[in-house]
Amino acid sequence: MNSLFVAAVINSTLRYSTPILFAALGSLYCTRCNVFNVALEGQMLAASFAAIVTNYFTHSVILSTMAAIGAGMLVALLVAVFQISLGVRDMVVGTSINLLVQSATSFLMQVIFGTRGTIQGNGMVALPKLSLKIGSLSFVNRMFESLSILDYLGYITAILVFLYLFKTVRGFHLRSVGISFEAAKSLGVKSQRIQFNSILVSGALCALGGLAQCMGMVTVFVENMTAGRGFIAMGAASMAQAHPIAAIFSSLFFGATISMSKTLQTYINSYFTESFPYFCTVIAMTIFGIIMIIRNKRKGIQKSA
Amino acid sequence: MLIKMENITKTYGSLVANDSVNLTLDKGEILAVVGENGAGKSTLMKILYGLEPMNSGRILINDREVEFRSPHDAIAHGIGMVQQHFMLFPPFTAAENIVYAHEPRKGMVFDRRKARQRTLELSRQYGLRIDPDAKVSQCPVGLQQRIEILKVLHQGVDIIIFDEPSAVLTPQEIDDLLQTIRDLKAKGKSIILITHKLNEVMATADRVMVMRSGSVVKEMACKDTSIDEMSFLMVGHQIRPREIEAVEKGRRCLDVRDLVLMGQGSKRVLDSLSLHVDEGEIVGIAGVSGNGQSELIQCITGLRRLSSGQVFIGDADVTNLSASQIRQSGCACIPEDRYLWGSASEATLAENCIMAHYNGNEKLMKRGIFRSKGVAEYAETMMKAYDVRYLSDRQEMHELSGGNAQKLIVAREMFQDSPLLLAAEPTRGIDIGAIDYIHGKLLDKRASGGSVLLISSELSEILELSDRIYVIYEGRIAGEFTRQSAKAEQIGLLMVGGKLND
Repeated sequence: MNSLFVAAVINSTLRYSTPILFAALGSLYCTRCNVFNVALEGQMLAASFAAIVTNYFTHSVILSTMAAIGAGMLVALLVAVFQISLGVRDMVVGTSINLLVQSATSFLMQVIFGTRGTIQGNGMVALPKLSLKIGSLSFVNRMFESLSILDYLGYITAILVFLYLFKTVRGFHLRSVGISFEAAKSLGVKSQRIQFNSILVSGALCALGGLAQCMGMVTVFVENMTAGRGFIAMGAASMAQAHPIAAIFSSLFFGATISMSKTLQTYINSYFTESFPYFCTVIAMTIFGIIMIIRNKRKGIQKSA
Repeated sequence: MLIKMENITKTYGSLVANDSVNLTLDKGEILAVVGENGAGKSTLMKILYGLEPMNSGRILINDREVEFRSPHDAIAHGIGMVQQHFMLFPPFTAAENIVYAHEPRKGMVFDRRKARQRTLELSRQYGLRIDPDAKVSQCPVGLQQRIEILKVLHQGVDIIIFDEPSAVLTPQEIDDLLQTIRDLKAKGKSIILITHKLNEVMATADRVMVMRSGSVVKEMACKDTSIDEMSFLMVGHQIRPREIEAVEKGRRCLDVRDLVLMGQGSKRVLDSLSLHVDEGEIVGIAGVSGNGQSELIQCITGLRRLSSGQVFIGDADVTNLSASQIRQSGCACIPEDRYLWGSASEATLAENCIMAHYNGNEKLMKRGIFRSKGVAEYAETMMKAYDVRYLSDRQEMHELSGGNAQKLIVAREMFQDSPLLLAAEPTRGIDIGAIDYIHGKLLDKRASGGSVLLISSELSEILELSDRIYVIYEGRIAGEFTRQSAKAEQIGLLMVGGKLND
């Protein structure tokens, strides 16, 4: 196989994994304080939509970014109010908010642009690109060709989340809420506020994921463009056992499956390739689950029946 | 006067938990607050620790009035609490737990090195040995409590509230704890001890305050009172030492033969264990908890498969039958953990009462449909008979205090009227009045020809009730005694793996 072809696949893997990585970080951030945030998808999609609408009218990367984060956090606020303040079940909140965002974006598209399907336009700006060039190594150069700054920022964010969770006092408290809400509360840590805020943070992280998706490779909004990325991210986060550094690798794995499915489209019927990433998610989670069971057995950890 | 609580009143709906209660505490003093379950002592302490708001009354510390909205405020005023249910994070280390919420930091960063140092410092200062790097999940209960105490000390408090601290400890651990409490007093701390074990009060406290149904009955110096007087004040009537009559033994009721249960790897959790209980007999199993008692119960009741061996109830071989088949063969069980095994905490009291009773009882269920009137009446009879204090049978189980929940479970299993009763820790964490009552019921069962297998970590309970006693150590029967031959010292020695010299 042509080595440049491999480099191109790696390149697209890096790009596809970015939205997943951000959303996975958002997911695990919540998981760490025992919040199951199902609305990652909605948070991403709202951010993508807000970014493109802003982009369409202002042609400004900075304003689009701010709009994305604002929209992501707004959806997250909704999640937090229902899930934490009002105590509605996570699945109910997440599912309804995902559906709400999906239909709201379609509706607003109709209202603002009078169209359905896609928003694109001349003069929309993409995220700044940063091509890492190392001498004349064409393989490496192709690998890092025209990646957006978010593609790099993802890894930095993962490290920052790691440092926050495991080295700072606030991160320590956040994790403690995840282990025992009651104990943390009784010791004077504001457990509920920590959970509430962590959902907002996940909104911002998912927003960056949504931004990478709509202004990274291409600059466009397509109806329901997240297409289950939020759920794949959930899988990535759980495979990483809610560890931010491990999430880099699980996100890369899922990025690779998406990249593979796109590459294989040339050779195989796309109806099959489209399902490839989701198929891989199920397989990977199964294998992972089995490995964990075996490992726990070896360690002799056995939950009382 | 260090603390003064004046006219504290607290109500939950129509229930008056505290009725203008007064409490004072001097510096360097140990005050014991005793009372039955539901007497209002825990509520009073929750108010003092800022966990519950009061309806009226005031709290003065060093003669200044204070208002506590959360434990944070209480801690800031020098009041700490060692809770009955440990507030620990099992995956974190001892040091991390001890400094929790008052962490040493460098900027935003958690300074774990200093946390370790601080732990070692406290440990030396108060003589409470602990490995700062040990994960709490790997510490036995006694150590976990030590971590709780160190945590409170790290908060720099002068007043420490102990809420039923000995409820979960083994006898050796209790001795250590009482010593620790006396040491803390010697180091100038003031202590409030909530308990219903009166011998602990006599061993530590300077002053005792007796509460009954929300009010203070009497307050006195410990040297001026006795266990008898305190228990009289607590319960409101005299508890007499019991006369246990001899009962003719009948046929064999439970027979466990060469029971083996394999654990992880090649370890035997239960090792060739044989025991039997006859009709008209209470047989006690003495042992430090964690030596296979839980597994033994699970094997007999059908919750776990035996690796080998046999279990007979009456003449029937019930080895490895399902839990419901074993129940039908005539075995009722009071499980050791009232919430994990004994009840459904989110179901109503009535629902909990009729569990395992409704099959074949037409008053409760007809053609698969519950008859609500019958259920309500049944539940009422049951709860009245065992003096369960409740507001309505529609209340959820978790709303009952621990003692009342236990009474309900005991009532339910006694009402089975089965030939065999397994009673695991039947009186854990409940007050003297209720203990006395439950003991009476167990003896009644024996008198009417029933068989009871009693498993308890409370040696005094075993010694008082049992006709025969087995000592269990590391899954094996380490010794067998009759009522006449039983000696507490010998049993205690076998319980910790010692050998008898004769």
